[in-house]
Amino acid sequence: MTQLEARAISKRYGTQRVLDHLDLALNGGEVTCLLGPNGAGKTTLLRVLSGLQRSQAGELLLDGARLDFHQPDARRQFGLVMHQPFLYEHLTGPENLRFYARLYQAELPEAQLRQLLTRVGLGKTRPVPVRSYSRGMKQRLTIARALLHNPRILLLDEPYTGLDQQGCQLLNLLIGEEQANGRVILATTHELNHARQIASLFAVLTRGKIAALIPNVGLSLDDIQLRYQQITQPESVAAA
Amino acid sequence: MKNWLKTALTLVWKDLVQEWRSRDMLTAMLSFAVLTLFIFNYAMELNPASRSEAAAGIIWVVIVFAGTLGLNRSFTAEQDQGCFDALVMAVPELSVIYVAKLITNLLVMLFLTVLVIPIYSLLYNQSLFMPMLWLVLLLGAWGYSATGTLIAGMTVQTRMRDLLLPILLFPLLMPVNMAVVKAAGAVLAGSALSGYASWVNLLLVYDIIMTVLSILVFEYVIQE
Amino acid sequence: MSSKNKLLTPLTLLSVVILLAAFAMVIFYAPVELTMGLVQKVFYFHMSAAWVGMLAFLVAAVAGGLYLGRQDLKYDRVSASSVEIGLVFTAIANFTGMIWAKPIWNTWWTWDPRLTTMTIMAFTYIAYLLLRRGMDDPSRRARFGAIYALVGFASVPLTFFSSRLLRTIHPTIFGGSSADMAMTGQMYQTMAVSLVAFTLLFAVLLWHRSRLAAGQAHLAELQAAQDEALFGGDSDE
Repeated sequence: MTQLEARAISKRYGTQRVLDHLDLALNGGEVTCLLGPNGAGKTTLLRVLSGLQRSQAGELLLDGARLDFHQPDARRQFGLVMHQPFLYEHLTGPENLRFYARLYQAELPEAQLRQLLTRVGLGKTRPVPVRSYSRGMKQRLTIARALLHNPRILLLDEPYTGLDQQGCQLLNLLIGEEQANGRVILATTHELNHARQIASLFAVLTRGKIAALIPNVGLSLDDIQLRYQQITQPESVAAA
Repeated sequence: MKNWLKTALTLVWKDLVQEWRSRDMLTAMLSFAVLTLFIFNYAMELNPASRSEAAAGIIWVVIVFAGTLGLNRSFTAEQDQGCFDALVMAVPELSVIYVAKLITNLLVMLFLTVLVIPIYSLLYNQSLFMPMLWLVLLLGAWGYSATGTLIAGMTVQTRMRDLLLPILLFPLLMPVNMAVVKAAGAVLAGSALSGYASWVNLLLVYDIIMTVLSILVFEYVIQE
Repeated sequence: MSSKNKLLTPLTLLSVVILLAAFAMVIFYAPVELTMGLVQKVFYFHMSAAWVGMLAFLVAAVAGGLYLGRQDLKYDRVSASSVEIGLVFTAIANFTGMIWAKPIWNTWWTWDPRLTTMTIMAFTYIAYLLLRRGMDDPSRRARFGAIYALVGFASVPLTFFSSRLLRTIHPTIFGGSSADMAMTGQMYQTMAVSLVAFTLLFAVLLWHRSRLAAGQAHLAELQAAQDEALFGGDSDE
């Protein structure tokens, strides 16, 4: 079973300590939802986990062994959906996917390409440049892009952004499928409503550390929100 | 190794297709180049003899300035759409991104040169179809692209972006400027190769040193 | 915060003493040159300043390389300080060069290889400082500074050889066929002391400037910690 572990990760931006001796273990077959106030460092954590940014201290372990990002295959284990779409505006949707497949040296025969597009709800789109896609379509294509090389680890930063109701449901379906495949999945989001349906557990990031891990067992939306408030703003809850 | 090459070519293909479909950059560069040639005409009302001597210098200056437009643009897609990150995650080695951009920029420069030279010939009634001239310009374009790609990779990530590129790049390009103008001038004047061979050698040395150095440091440009 | 290294003050004093000695030697000890007259004495400072300019660039490049390898901001501070100081010395070299050139060759500026290379180097320094000014993130600023210092330094010999291929009217000092300036033993000695004085001055200035930069960084840290304590945890995104 795949396991990605962060141990004592510290990251500073100039004088600001964004991640402070952070520990987090992510297991295959689990969906971890990362919650935290704006600016808490959720995006930074994802960037450090995927090797896009170096931490100043601490280490990352994949299946117990130290993760060395100088190895060519290290980063390819990851599938990323971030704030920016990673799409080339003048290429069509299929061209974007074929391009990335070639970079990843992943086999992507036409049939598989079609199937991937259908999975994200873009099966019926005409091959036009991505420039003319709507925000929702771009988001769907970005998700397809993240999956095409069958990564073991999925890191998703606000993946519901730009998606309509149908899109969100489709995404949840996809996440469920990947979870069944044993993938490690970490998603940051503010959409507790949608997250609740797929999360195995909630991790709350505040003041540079994972302050709490809350298993998603029999929790209502209000429960989650209350717990979240308690952890991130203890003063305001105590006063209430 | 084969992997690496395939990846580089894929990246080059992507850049060329992107540029061909938008045609923004190429059109802008070409317009800029032709307009600059016109300005030179009024700035330097020389008799034909002096002008033919200055031809090498004028052409190279035009290419250098128009080239900055191309360099600035070569990374904007990656920067604005966040594709730097995507490429970093996908490629086997970071230096391949640099080499691919180098090739793309070089091709763009050559494209520019191929258009500028006949236009110059037309405007100033001077024939410039000499193979050695092309060799010199090719070596010059290589050096320009090698250093330019590295610098553009950095400046695109700063606040000042386009403004900063010429300031950072031009001091580093001086050897190329001197060598290209002198060697091209010698070719146009009809000198034998021995007359300007040392310039060609210098260009080659510059190109190799800068390319190798850039390959070594490029990972620090795009990775934090 | 490390306290002042005990060596720094005596070293500073020593550097001042040797500098004064060099001045004295130039004015009183070194003979007046045959063809160029009194103005030639500027040469000692011109050469020393030019030497320090080159040295500063080398130090900046090496420190930059060390930063890339070790990711310790201390190297970045040394690199940036070296560039600043190098720029000042290069300006001095250019300026004294012009003072020297005017009476002798009747021109303020000569497109001579060494002068040209020094000037282009000065522009590279300025570009370096502008690059740093346009960046707020300290680690990225350090990274890009290091890269530019390395690449800039690599281009200097290339620029020099190009300019030399171009033309030369700079007098060849140490032997050579066209000995425009005959150097006697006393002149060599003065030259040597001058070089030592300037090099030591550079080292001392570099040390002081790096300490200042370290202090500024430390102050910023303390201020940030105070802000965090007063206004609470997470930043604004």
